[in-house]
Amino acid sequence: MADPQGLEGNQPVDLSKHPSGIVPTLQNIVSTVNLDCKLDLKAIALQARNAEYNPKRFAAVIMRIREPKTTALIFASGKMVCTGAKSEQQSKLAARKYARIIQKLGFPAKFKDFKIQNIVGSCDVKFPIRLEGLAYAHGAFSSYEPELFPGLIYRMKQPKIVLLIFVSGKIVLTGAKVRDETYTAFENIYPVLTEFRKVQQ
Amino acid sequence: MRKDQKMLPIVEVADVVGCDSYELGRMISRVVDFIDLKLQEFDIVNSFERAIKNCPSFGNVSEDVIERMLQQGVFLLQCLIKWFVTKGRKPMPVVAAVLVFVGELNQVQVKIEDVAKELHVALKTCRQRYKELLDRLVKVARVLPWGKDVTVKNILKNAPYVMQYMEMKAMTKCSEKRQSFGDFQSDMEELVGDCLRKEVGYGFDSYTIEDCSSHYFEGDRSLNLRSDNPDKFQISPESLALIYSNFLNEISLVKTTAGIGTENKRKKRKTLDLQACTDWWQGKSELSKKLILKKILEKDVGLDAMPPSFDKACLDTEKRREKIKAAKSRIQRIMHPRIADSGTSNGLCLFEPENSKKKRKKGQVDIDWEDLIIETLLLHNVREEEIEKGHYNVLLALHVFDQGLL
Repeated sequence: MADPQGLEGNQPVDLSKHPSGIVPTLQNIVSTVNLDCKLDLKAIALQARNAEYNPKRFAAVIMRIREPKTTALIFASGKMVCTGAKSEQQSKLAARKYARIIQKLGFPAKFKDFKIQNIVGSCDVKFPIRLEGLAYAHGAFSSYEPELFPGLIYRMKQPKIVLLIFVSGKIVLTGAKVRDETYTAFENIYPVLTEFRKVQQ
Repeated sequence: MRKDQKMLPIVEVADVVGCDSYELGRMISRVVDFIDLKLQEFDIVNSFERAIKNCPSFGNVSEDVIERMLQQGVFLLQCLIKWFVTKGRKPMPVVAAVLVFVGELNQVQVKIEDVAKELHVALKTCRQRYKELLDRLVKVARVLPWGKDVTVKNILKNAPYVMQYMEMKAMTKCSEKRQSFGDFQSDMEELVGDCLRKEVGYGFDSYTIEDCSSHYFEGDRSLNLRSDNPDKFQISPESLALIYSNFLNEISLVKTTAGIGTENKRKKRKTLDLQACTDWWQGKSELSKKLILKKILEKDVGLDAMPPSFDKACLDTEKRREKIKAAKSRIQRIMHPRIADSGTSNGLCLFEPENSKKKRKKGQVDIDWEDLIIETLLLHNVREEEIEKGHYNVLLALHVFDQGLL
């Protein structure tokens, strides 16, 4: 059975790394790569079955593959954005598969400067959070405007991660380049959240 | 305006300038970031006060009624803050829901559609918040002797008693709570007597008389007000019998009145005596005036509710746990048919939440896509705690469709 490095799922939680006992689940990895050649998007859209291209709406070919289940945005400049992977390895594998498809369509595509740009994770602390209290006490980092967005937006400085904190106790962490930043950000915020937990009387 | 504690909702501005509220919100965020403004948080109580004074629906209402509605509305809003109904939600639909409720409570002919339109909020959301408000009041009403019979349909008629109870609770200081329970009991006795004496509301409710009357004999159970010592909460059998006989007399009176015609009955249901409304509301509780959050949270109003989203998440987790259990037993039955035969479980998840909207037909329990995914994940040795979280796509991608990485 596949059990890639560092993937949560069927391993017990490492409490030295995750003192809270909660490991954020990675939901989306966004990566970029340079195929290092100019691309004829119309030709790609006509030849590839898994591609859609509507230049009036968006200036890139949108291509999808099923394994790993991802979507790529391929630009005429040869730059490509790969989204939807659930791990870094999957993201890289998917990007390689897209590059291969482009090569098969007759373009001299390379695989240059692959980089993970964003990692989105989420978790549930399993207790409700008093958002106003948190917004008041951490005003410098927080923004809570229920008229605009239901969650509290917490901009952590170190690591530079944005956290969306919801009253239900669900947390979304975004902006990480490596998964450890996501984990560190969560371990940093967890004690703060426990301070503002709603206790059932 | 925020800085001056004057609430001007974004939706109202967006409507006036004719742009999308999200666009406007984005622009506000940019301006606030750029000038490095520190805006105060949106104050829902202030916006309620503003709405009640500016809403055309309440234009013809007399000053004293508006004043009373204002107090009741502020009281209810602060209860909703305490019950987490306002958290992480757009504030104006909650304001609209409370406006409609206090309007109905004070015989102001007001439609939720009109209020939603006047406040520029989605009608559906207003209805949902209104329902949430009623649901919570019903929960508070559970402690009343006839609490079992209170539903969202008749809560409006019971609202005076429920709010009176909440007011009383809010006025009880934490330290006094236990000591003054005796006083509170006598208040409750008075309240029970009062409710049964009045023709208004309770007697005209739609539930069957047999159902209601049965509960009044269950004194010990129905009058259980979470007291440490329930024996202290006493209404003597004689007074209970007297209350009950009064109640039966009045019910028979109601029966005859109701028999005159349904049209007449409908009219009576709709029109509560205004005098009765003014009687019960005292507005003495601190919660009728604007309080800071800390004070609101300290108050006890007879219910300590969790956020709706949290309750739903708990329910979903529980549902998934049951599904995992059922899936395990199905797998067990296939892998070890002999052992499984001796067990009683049929491997089907029978978890049905109380307020589930989709009711399954009797005896028909299907295996759905979720059951199949859970089975697959279990067969791939994924930890149950991970499956309980419900991130199926991630788990499938990591453990089932990840063969290419090897």
